[in-house]
Amino acid sequence: MVDIDASQMTTRDINLRLKSNSFSNNGITVKNSQGRHNLGVGLSSNTEIKFEGNVGYFCGGLSSQCQIVIQGNAGWAVGDNLMSGSIAVEGNAGASAGSTMRGGSLFVRGNSGARTGISMKGGHLVVGGDSGFMTGFMMQKGRIVVCGNVGEAVGDSMYEGEIFVGGTIGSLGSDAIVQDASEDELIEVWEMLAKEGIAERPKFKKIVSAKKLYHFDSLERLEKNVI
Amino acid sequence: MCGVCGVLYKTKNGEKSAPVGVALTEMLATMAHRGEDSTGITVANHSEKTDFIVRLWAEDVHGAKQHIGEAAAVHNITPVIDRMNGNFIRVLVKVNQDQDIADQVKTLSTFFNQVEGVTLHSIGNVSEVIKDTGTAEDLDLRHSIRAMSGSHGIGHVRLATESRVDITHSHPFWAYPFADVTVVHNGQLTNYHKLRRKYEAGGHKFLTGNDSELIAVYLADKLSRGLSLHDSLSGALGDLDGTFTFLVATSDSIGYAKDRWAAKPLVIREDKHVVAIASEEVALDTLGLGESQRIEPQENEVMTWSI
Repeated sequence: MVDIDASQMTTRDINLRLKSNSFSNNGITVKNSQGRHNLGVGLSSNTEIKFEGNVGYFCGGLSSQCQIVIQGNAGWAVGDNLMSGSIAVEGNAGASAGSTMRGGSLFVRGNSGARTGISMKGGHLVVGGDSGFMTGFMMQKGRIVVCGNVGEAVGDSMYEGEIFVGGTIGSLGSDAIVQDASEDELIEVWEMLAKEGIAERPKFKKIVSAKKLYHFDSLERLEKNVI
Repeated sequence: MCGVCGVLYKTKNGEKSAPVGVALTEMLATMAHRGEDSTGITVANHSEKTDFIVRLWAEDVHGAKQHIGEAAAVHNITPVIDRMNGNFIRVLVKVNQDQDIADQVKTLSTFFNQVEGVTLHSIGNVSEVIKDTGTAEDLDLRHSIRAMSGSHGIGHVRLATESRVDITHSHPFWAYPFADVTVVHNGQLTNYHKLRRKYEAGGHKFLTGNDSELIAVYLADKLSRGLSLHDSLSGALGDLDGTFTFLVATSDSIGYAKDRWAAKPLVIREDKHVVAIASEEVALDTLGLGESQRIEPQENEVMTWSI
């Protein structure tokens, strides 16, 4: 394990250092991350990265393959557009955690803020605590699991994918409905939790799209004129 | 983008010597990346309540000093120039204990707005607004913010989006003409012009063209109608349109309101002695609070704390 001290480096230098380390198989620990934004962005190899302390916005964004652990809280949009690999936040995450993520797994042990998993396009997002309003807004694929409660308008305008909620639902968003989760699905979700060290097995409610807002085959007026 | 922060030390009757200036400067300095156009703070200190603190800005301070003296003689007001610092003038005016405070502030506001060559930034009985262009470190260097103590305060770093970059358009905005009510705001108000026309028609005066000033005027209007700070903030959630997270400081309280979209960030840490609020967690980390409750406000929320 290599240590670097972020307090003496620019964000660009930290990320360059993390990238260069990507080519070795050693893990790397970033000390004094001090809530800095854009840490660990755009990394692309199988490396373990640990941030000691809080991180700011977009931590781990656009990355693939690496395993990132944040020993603190994360600001907005942690794991933004994550491609693959894993990110684990040991504290809480701000708004828009896992926004537009396409693959891999994002785990928030505490609570996450508004618009968790907004426009998610794949992968798994697990929240150990509660998650804020408009969780899963316009999600297109993938799975969100919230062990605690979700806020208002969950799953608003979602296209595909599924949201599992262990606690209470503030309200359902437009076109979101609650479906019964099958025994197999529940077992799958519980296994995901077990991997993150969560032993509880909540009886999850499953939220999916009712697909009443689907109008993909209807043309706009001007388009009809063209045809 | 903009960054906001606030701190309140919870002690009976208002702690007189809590390091509010240091706390605000540290928090704002770590949020410099959220805006470097200007920085400003409000600090409330209850130890001296015998004077109104008037903060003025003038292009020509010596000319302004003369104008203040001339106007004072006519209007039977006795302002004492306490300090001049660059283009800033700090004036003290004795509080008349037999007269209503609100009436006195109205008279003083009218007076200073008429004095040639000065721009009125704030009038407070226990609090003071200091704002300037540049960063928190610049502000401290020019105005010795770290040396300021008191019970509570709010601060702001600005990245201008809605109006010009100058000192008058910097935050905090004072709720003219109500003493000790000031606001810092991160966001944009989309019904600013509509509400401004409404309040102007109702006799309220705006000192700048900044949308955030509307929040100060809005709250002042509610408070003057006898609403509590909490209820005034709750009203703002429905009446103000746009994206906003703003903090307000009064003579004995601070509070926040966060819009229905939860579009602007805010994190709070609170323990038995202190509550600290900021746009980013990194700012709260500077205070070394240790064991404390952490709250991240969600949509449509308000909260207030008192000394």
